[in-house]
Amino acid sequence: MIKSVINHRIIKEAVRIRKVEEKFLELFSQGKLNGTVHTCVGQEFSAIAFAGQLKKKDFIFSNHRCHGHYLAFTGDTRGLLAELLGKASGTSGGIGSSQHLCNGNFFSNGIQGGIVPVAAGYALANKLKGNGAIGIVFIGDGTLGEGALYETMNIISKWGIPLMIVCENNFYAQSTPQQVNLAGDITARAEAFGIETFEGNTWDPESLMKQAGEAIEYVRTETRPCFFLVETYRLNAHSKGDDDRDPADVARFREKDFLHIFARESADYHQIYEEAINLEIDELVAEIEKEAELPMEKYFETVQHVTGNDWTALEPVNKRQVELINHFFRDILQSDEQVVFLGEDILSPYGGAFKVAKELSFLRPGRVFSTPISEAAITGVSNGLALNGFKPFAEIMFGDFMTLAFDQIVNHASKFHHMFNKKVNCPVVIRTPMGGRRGYGPTHSQTLDKFLVGIDNVKTVALNTLMDPALIYRSVYAERHPVLVIENKTDYGKKILQQPMNSFVCERNDDAFPVIRIRPPVSEPTLTVVAYGGMADIVSGILEDIFRHTDLIPELIVPSLISCLPIDLIAASAAKTGRLAVVEEGTAFSGIGSEVVSAVMEMTDARIKVKRISAYPVPIPSVRSLENIVLPGRDRIIQELKESFS
Amino acid sequence: MALLQEIKVPLLAVNDTSLTVVEIAFPGGHRVKTGDPVLVFETSKTTYDALAETDGYIQYLCETGKDYEVNYIAARIFSEPDEAGQTTVPGLLPIVEAGEPAARANRADWTGETLFSLEAGLLIDSSGIGRSIFKGKDFVTRRDVEMATGSYHPVPSRHTDSPRSAPTAPIRPARQASTLPDPAKTIVERLSRNKKKEIEYLGEVQSGGLTSTINVTVETEDIFVHINQSLKYLKDSLLPVILYETGRLLRKYRVLNSYFSGDAIAFYKEVNIGFAIDLEDKGLKVLKIAHTDSKTIAAIEEEILSLSNRYLDELLGIGDLSDISFTVTDLSSQGVSFFRPLVNTMNSAILGVSSIDEKLQRMILSLTFDHRVTEGKTVAAFLSDLKGRLESYRPDGTTVPVEDVSCFRCLKTLQEDLAGTGFVKCITPHGKDGYICQACLKGF
Repeated sequence: MIKSVINHRIIKEAVRIRKVEEKFLELFSQGKLNGTVHTCVGQEFSAIAFAGQLKKKDFIFSNHRCHGHYLAFTGDTRGLLAELLGKASGTSGGIGSSQHLCNGNFFSNGIQGGIVPVAAGYALANKLKGNGAIGIVFIGDGTLGEGALYETMNIISKWGIPLMIVCENNFYAQSTPQQVNLAGDITARAEAFGIETFEGNTWDPESLMKQAGEAIEYVRTETRPCFFLVETYRLNAHSKGDDDRDPADVARFREKDFLHIFARESADYHQIYEEAINLEIDELVAEIEKEAELPMEKYFETVQHVTGNDWTALEPVNKRQVELINHFFRDILQSDEQVVFLGEDILSPYGGAFKVAKELSFLRPGRVFSTPISEAAITGVSNGLALNGFKPFAEIMFGDFMTLAFDQIVNHASKFHHMFNKKVNCPVVIRTPMGGRRGYGPTHSQTLDKFLVGIDNVKTVALNTLMDPALIYRSVYAERHPVLVIENKTDYGKKILQQPMNSFVCERNDDAFPVIRIRPPVSEPTLTVVAYGGMADIVSGILEDIFRHTDLIPELIVPSLISCLPIDLIAASAAKTGRLAVVEEGTAFSGIGSEVVSAVMEMTDARIKVKRISAYPVPIPSVRSLENIVLPGRDRIIQELKESFS
Repeated sequence: MALLQEIKVPLLAVNDTSLTVVEIAFPGGHRVKTGDPVLVFETSKTTYDALAETDGYIQYLCETGKDYEVNYIAARIFSEPDEAGQTTVPGLLPIVEAGEPAARANRADWTGETLFSLEAGLLIDSSGIGRSIFKGKDFVTRRDVEMATGSYHPVPSRHTDSPRSAPTAPIRPARQASTLPDPAKTIVERLSRNKKKEIEYLGEVQSGGLTSTINVTVETEDIFVHINQSLKYLKDSLLPVILYETGRLLRKYRVLNSYFSGDAIAFYKEVNIGFAIDLEDKGLKVLKIAHTDSKTIAAIEEEILSLSNRYLDELLGIGDLSDISFTVTDLSSQGVSFFRPLVNTMNSAILGVSSIDEKLQRMILSLTFDHRVTEGKTVAAFLSDLKGRLESYRPDGTTVPVEDVSCFRCLKTLQEDLAGTGFVKCITPHGKDGYICQACLKGF
């Protein structure tokens, strides 16, 4: 038996956490909770020791087992109960439920490891603000298998980010015992990154409180990260009914559980606390059960997109696209304290693989971060910066590497605003160059755009060489939600609107992300072509050839916002011409062309002959002769248009 | 000092809203005499000479090779030479150029380079026309060149449909593939504008590719024995009877008195059968017998005659040629055994009448119909009814012409009804005593 002099306020707090979670299990059995719950019964003192000892300005990122952390940090029993009961008054409006909570500086997400770089970004933002706030990210021993954790430990150590990683080691990854999955030593992992480590356990709450307090103080005063390993034991299943542990083992830990001991040794106090808390919870539940759920119109409403129809003539700019992008970043880095530029290999004089970042680190050393090769962490850190008031522009060196950042885009950036019931915005910007024609081969030449469109609440924008990219970047800069910007490797070196197009009128509309139209000056077009990004440069340059060879007068429509296409405009044009071709550098199956074609068909009853021209569905070869065949080029485009429409 | 005559572009067929001037007979200001041909217009399969109706001095307001709308004043004859001094009058430009009005409007707009598609370029080179005639256009397609050379034949095309039209017609190429003739091996004569119109008007239904033809044989032995008694002029012709019976049957078969209009069928409220005529190089025309279903055989015969005379005298009015709801084409005088007629524009069917095979004593009726509107079963029923009605004119022995007895339904008199079976006495729907002919009794 452990002799403890821990004060009763803390014990009451732990009882409250346990009683709330036991209530959840009861409500779950009654079918009143939608989804699932992961309880921390047995682990409560970890929550209280860390979350309970932070200051209000500090922050917490937690995981799927977050109720204890939430209650310890926010004290918001009602908001948590209402959230799990699916009510509009819940802390996330009932959208997030058990795993997705947000209240002030408290955030949780159910993706293992993915929250760690986000927390690092949030902590980095505090450091940049110099507000003395620190943060804690809770992980479990199961999270030790996730790569994003190690990418982030490297960065927080290297950059001196004041973030404490609390690893609650309950010896099981869901139902799998630790010895099956985990190699090596846990604290040695952090030590290898030069991170200070601490240890404690929940069976000795008094010591844990003290150790946690010391660790918090360390992070705050040293502005350094630390790693705290807390041994604990979950007395209930991972969620519900998935417990194959030896009951004798569980019983042994139940005997060790502090609240169990307290209930036995101070039965009177325990009974008083328990009854008072139970009464409070029951009254809250009875009240909350009468409340309404969030109506759909408060969550989401379909907005009909109408493409602008005021057209302005496009002017050539005698500067390379990369210079114009670079100038845009020079401007905003100097004018806006909140702008942060991150990416691999971007320090000057090198200035990044494609020189977009040229001299930026000289201009604003404190806002330009050259990162390790850690796409998940770069993106996650950017997400955290964005959540905490900054405007991060992260560069992923090659579009192919977006796959490594995908979790951060899909499960974090995309979700925060809605799953936290619109309490937060995540105005992160991820830029990357896509495209081939440089012989870089299968993993450095792809156009993965189709994987990047159709992500909820994320705009995907593609630059082109027909207009000043700064115009598009101004709108990206103004966005309050995540934006992915697709640049093109071969476009970087091109000047704006330099190809002679004397026989056509080049114009753009006044949308925030302008649509460009290249049309015959007098004749009615007889062929509608849609192309964007790097393909827009190629197609715009061969419009006259297309006419000569197909006998069709083309009108080219170039969207810049490819996650919300100007279907109304395309449909109107195609209904008139009766022919619609979409040219893309990615592969056709389920691609941008497929989206254009099906959306156009939904909008009009006109009979339109359609064609998708795209890359062949094989990895892009390095050898030039084959690369030129696999990617749609001038000759193939003309040939396929001819075959389809002549 | 007087304007003596204005020579306008004549209306020769309702389809021909413009004609081509192919010859100007005199220099401008030249003296002409009454009866001189002063202008030659191109019409269907032939030319039309405009004659001076007075002596005087000619002023031309047209150019050869260009098309002019009907009623456009192409020339004037004045009493004094100085009045006719100029060959063109400023401000009076030809109304139609070889090309679409839209294309023409474009020409004035573009001052940049003109781009030619490869197909257009090849066609220009082979046809020998100059590229300069396209000055002012931004893009010249094969179609533009075909328009300019007069070899363009519009085919009802998916690309000219309105966006909301139903996808009923099968998809066809936007233009016909035309093989350019080799001048060394062929003598090339341009199609007349009227021939082009004819192609266009027949093309409208046929290009849908969904027409079909059904034939029936009609026994004709002794058929004229009685029919000729009721005909004054057109002895030994089945046309009046066929028009008469068809007119009545079309009330029942409304769908053959209709036409396909994109996503609907337009049913004519009136039965106005047209009969095709092509005589003495006056061109193929379809002349209308208005309200065919309410006219007697005699009245129909009279009308065939008077229309034919007006056709020969070129005195047809627009009313004689328009709003035709069904067409009959009679080639029985040409010795044809059997043919497949083509459905006219804004019709759903056409009935072809072949010659009577004197040896077998029978003839073939062929009905081509637009399958988008109707189908074989209906047409077969129509033809079977028609065959029955026609064959009922064949004598079966005795006939007693009786005055004053007429079918309340079709107004056919017993005298006209020469089938020999007689009428049935009946109570009309208005409760009066009346008669009904065998055909109406069976058919309705």
